[in-house]
Amino acid sequence: MTDLAVTESSPHTPAEAGGAPEDRSEVVRFDVNERVVHWTTAVLMLTLIFTGAVLYIPTLSLAIGNRGTVEQIHVICGIALLVPLVLGLAGPWRHLLVRDLRRVDRWGRSDFDWFRSRGRRKALERDKFNGGQKLEAAFLGAAMVATLVTGLIMRYAPSSWINWATGATLVHDTLFWAIVIAVGAHIVIALSRPDQLVSMMRGRISRVWAREHSAAWLDEIDGARTVRGR
Amino acid sequence: MPDRPTDDTMPARLPDVPGATTPRSGRARDRTVHVGRRTVLGILGLTGVGIGAGAKLDSVVGPALTRVGSSLGGLGALLPGANGFRYYTITNSYPKLARDTYRLSVTGMVDHPLTLSLADLRSMPRTDLVHTFQCVTGWRVPDVHWQGVKLADVLARAGVQPGATALRFFSGDGAYTESLTLAQARLPDVLVADKMLAADVTTQHGGPVRMYIAPMYGYKSIKWLDRIVVTNRVVPGYWEDNGYPVDAWIGGTQP
Repeated sequence: MTDLAVTESSPHTPAEAGGAPEDRSEVVRFDVNERVVHWTTAVLMLTLIFTGAVLYIPTLSLAIGNRGTVEQIHVICGIALLVPLVLGLAGPWRHLLVRDLRRVDRWGRSDFDWFRSRGRRKALERDKFNGGQKLEAAFLGAAMVATLVTGLIMRYAPSSWINWATGATLVHDTLFWAIVIAVGAHIVIALSRPDQLVSMMRGRISRVWAREHSAAWLDEIDGARTVRGR
Repeated sequence: MPDRPTDDTMPARLPDVPGATTPRSGRARDRTVHVGRRTVLGILGLTGVGIGAGAKLDSVVGPALTRVGSSLGGLGALLPGANGFRYYTITNSYPKLARDTYRLSVTGMVDHPLTLSLADLRSMPRTDLVHTFQCVTGWRVPDVHWQGVKLADVLARAGVQPGATALRFFSGDGAYTESLTLAQARLPDVLVADKMLAADVTTQHGGPVRMYIAPMYGYKSIKWLDRIVVTNRVVPGYWEDNGYPVDAWIGGTQP
């Protein structure tokens, strides 16, 4: 088990020094494992969306052609889609990822409140992720599994399963649009929030940001560190 | 679910530690609900229902969705379950064969090699079929009107020689190939089609002339039909080389 003080606090601001101004210091939001899982999954997902659109949308099918090749790329990326996540959970490097998945699972009152009123959002005592982010992550996780299963049926089921393949196609196509909306929203929102986008690239985010947006999470980190340092 | 200490060092388990500055998050965590896993399980459950009931749902809701889809014009094809055609082409583009210069050649183990124009095909006995176009991956377009000449009639006109057992089909796109056994080729619902959807076969659908092999999955119905070669062994075609069955009976067995 890695030491929390190492994992989540910034080396620039040893808590016991106490002298550094808080607005400059940073905390770790995503560790290397989480960022590798995120970006490899992102590349696979975008490739799947693009190749899927070519296979599905008639205008694109005719414009791009090469269906055999496009299909192979789509199938290979689809089979690989969950590999980064599984590997990210498979070793001793998994701890932050496991805890973040647990946050996605467990919703407190602030997560429900987040959906109820835009105006009150700033006043909520928020976890590391807000309700919208948690819903997004849970949906995309489930959609990845569901598209993988339905895709495998569409491509590899014996030809006597044709009715299941028809059902699988219906689900796969419906999820295509839902995923396009979810990933599209994810990208638009990420681009409009550079602090968080950069934290998924460099791993760190400012303590000021954390205090303003994820106070409950910051308290957790500091609390855990206080306990450690005791 | 109980916390597993190896993975979870969140302060929820440390409320009684002096100096832990986590009263707010600790309190919030007391009332957590497992929304995440319920969301995941719910979506996976719906997926299971969709796979199991999708074909039935498709035949019940499909016609209504098709009407909605056609009212949306081209966008209708994008509606899941609206039973629109998907356009397959395995080359960079697709061949635009002129109708007036089109020729279908029938060669190989035949007594009279043929070169048939569209007019030649249309002077032969015509067959009409209303039948589903079923893709092996699951999508289908019900009640498509097909019209053309029975392949059996074309073969009779060419005179298949003794010893011939199979056919090879070549597309005008230079890449797409297909195969049938001679027995399959002589089935009454195997057409050399020059009309579908009550019109000339469009270029996107494989026109001027394509195959329509009703009892088999769509990939057997080769588009932009250019050449038929009668031979004595089955040579798997493009999609068979990509892992799909050579004997592509819908449902797995010959009806």
